[in-house]
Amino acid sequence: MNKRLLEVSGVSVTFDGFRAINNLSIAIAEPELRAVIGPNGAGKTTFMDIITGKTKPDEGKVIWGEKSISLLGMSESQIARAGIGRKFQKPTVFEAQTVRENLAMALKNKRGPFDVLFYRKTADGAARIEALAAEIGLSDQLTRVAGELSHGQKQWLEIGMLLAQDPRLLLVDEPAAGMTPAEREQTTDLLVRAAKTRAVVVVEHDMEFVRRLNCKVTVLHEGSVLAEGSLDHVTQNPDVIEVYLGR
Amino acid sequence: MTKSFLATNRSVLVFLLVLSLFTLAVTVMAEATGYGLISTSFVKTLGKTLCLCLIAIAMDVVWGYCGILSLGHFAFFGIGGYAIGMWLMYARTEEIVAGSLANQPLPATAQELSDAIGTQIFGVVGSSDFPLIWSFAHSLPLQLLAILIVPGLLALVFGWLAFRSRVTGVYLSILTQAMTLALSLYLFQNDSGLRGNNGLSGLQNIPGVSASQDDVSIWFFWASAVALGLGYVLFAFVTSGKMGSVIRAIRDDEARVRFLGYHVESYKLFVFTITAMVAGIAGALYYPQAGIINPAEIAPIASIYLAVWVAIGGRGRLYGAVIGATLVSLLSSWFTGGSAPAINLGFYKIVWTDWWLVLLGLSFVAVTLFFPQGIGGLFDFVAVKRNSDYGPSEGAWRAEEGKPE
Repeated sequence: MNKRLLEVSGVSVTFDGFRAINNLSIAIAEPELRAVIGPNGAGKTTFMDIITGKTKPDEGKVIWGEKSISLLGMSESQIARAGIGRKFQKPTVFEAQTVRENLAMALKNKRGPFDVLFYRKTADGAARIEALAAEIGLSDQLTRVAGELSHGQKQWLEIGMLLAQDPRLLLVDEPAAGMTPAEREQTTDLLVRAAKTRAVVVVEHDMEFVRRLNCKVTVLHEGSVLAEGSLDHVTQNPDVIEVYLGR
Repeated sequence: MTKSFLATNRSVLVFLLVLSLFTLAVTVMAEATGYGLISTSFVKTLGKTLCLCLIAIAMDVVWGYCGILSLGHFAFFGIGGYAIGMWLMYARTEEIVAGSLANQPLPATAQELSDAIGTQIFGVVGSSDFPLIWSFAHSLPLQLLAILIVPGLLALVFGWLAFRSRVTGVYLSILTQAMTLALSLYLFQNDSGLRGNNGLSGLQNIPGVSASQDDVSIWFFWASAVALGLGYVLFAFVTSGKMGSVIRAIRDDEARVRFLGYHVESYKLFVFTITAMVAGIAGALYYPQAGIINPAEIAPIASIYLAVWVAIGGRGRLYGAVIGATLVSLLSSWFTGGSAPAINLGFYKIVWTDWWLVLLGLSFVAVTLFFPQGIGGLFDFVAVKRNSDYGPSEGAWRAEEGKPE
């Protein structure tokens, strides 16, 4: 059994009377690859918002790491510094800046304004950027402006920026959206490799993509866990079939 | 890997070169140091323009690079002017009063001297006591310190409150505008301790200096040029490298920067405060050349002009702000000074003193709509394209295939 990294327990969020998350409990170990699936409005993105500090839950606990720190009192940037990286559904890279600048910004270093102001480039940092670029297949594109990249390349760049942060937990929201089949395959490989040393949580719609990840799956429905287990296990669950195919 | 900062920022060297050549040319043509081809008042205008360029590059950093449209930076400029003005006025009045009291049979006591200075300075607002705010006016070093500290502190407190509550965009602009309006209204009051709407005057006379205005004007011109040069290097340093990267990223998507682990508010506060301090310096150099400062100078319209200069010159590039400030402020004094020839249309006569604002407004709208890069954007056409690869943004064409069409 791997050690527990993140524990979300009994969390609920209400937006204007609508219960987006309802008594949700999930635990993530390190290392682990986990897919979170569910129909639209199941609360997948809100779940990520809560972990990363964007949304504050009405009740419940979010506990992080060996020291069991609560993430609820922390700001987004503190949570990111604690070791949680997030990739958004829509690729959000800094389009006006080069691939290298994007990666350099994400690279794990001190984040204070004066640390950054007097930051000097190092050979070690350059090597890390080169290695990351190779990992995400953008070695030839380092000097290009990120806005010029194709959709798939932007998605990879964002995953690269996540890896550059060297987080212990990666939250990845629909990484394969808008990708060609070949690009999807590379993305799966990238995520599976990343999950060897850290915890990776992938939110996805696409069952085929989830199947290729070959990992434990959590099915969300109306803001709480409906089923958990291997993909085959959950797809045979009558509740899951009802939610996905019924009505 | 680590190249020196100036080697990687060639535009800084070019700017410094142009600035030195300009300074040299003015020095050669000035009354005091050269052939007297340009009048002392024009030297002052040029010196003031350099100060406006300095606050314009500060505005460019805060708006063009960091995305905070501050409509309050002229408040900091004004505070710098008031800070130096208080010392200039105090020391100059002290000199004159001490001179006239020296003829008395009995030497004046310290209290008499202070009362006499107070009456001279505050007579216009019906008072003779020194308000608390003038406590340090006798000390040049302390007032010089105030030029940096007061704008810095105000920006720090204001910025901390505003950024902490995540006020952004147009709401932040309104807040900054409210700040400068409140300050201006406060200073208009007679009991604010800064002579109400009279402001501070006679600032062109430097205490203890008997040189003529011809000399003083060129000194201030030099000082303004040095300040602009240093300010340019400072801001080029701040906006280059990783800091520049983070600041521009905050402008483009601040939420994403937060998820990268950067504390966005600290960065905004840093930029807001450092630009406010530089604005204070610019003001402290500007008003001794203008000779007078009053609360109308920090009315919101001044800060809006500042935004217009930067927009016309080109946001997000420091030399653009310099071009915008120079061009618009010089044109503005030409048009409003009555030297621009009126255009007679037969049925109507366009008098530029009335129509200049319309022209400025139209150019602002035109630049925003049709040429968002501003005048500075013209340099992009001159610059040689570094990449031969056209990239997907212009279709999936490669260099070998030639440009589309």
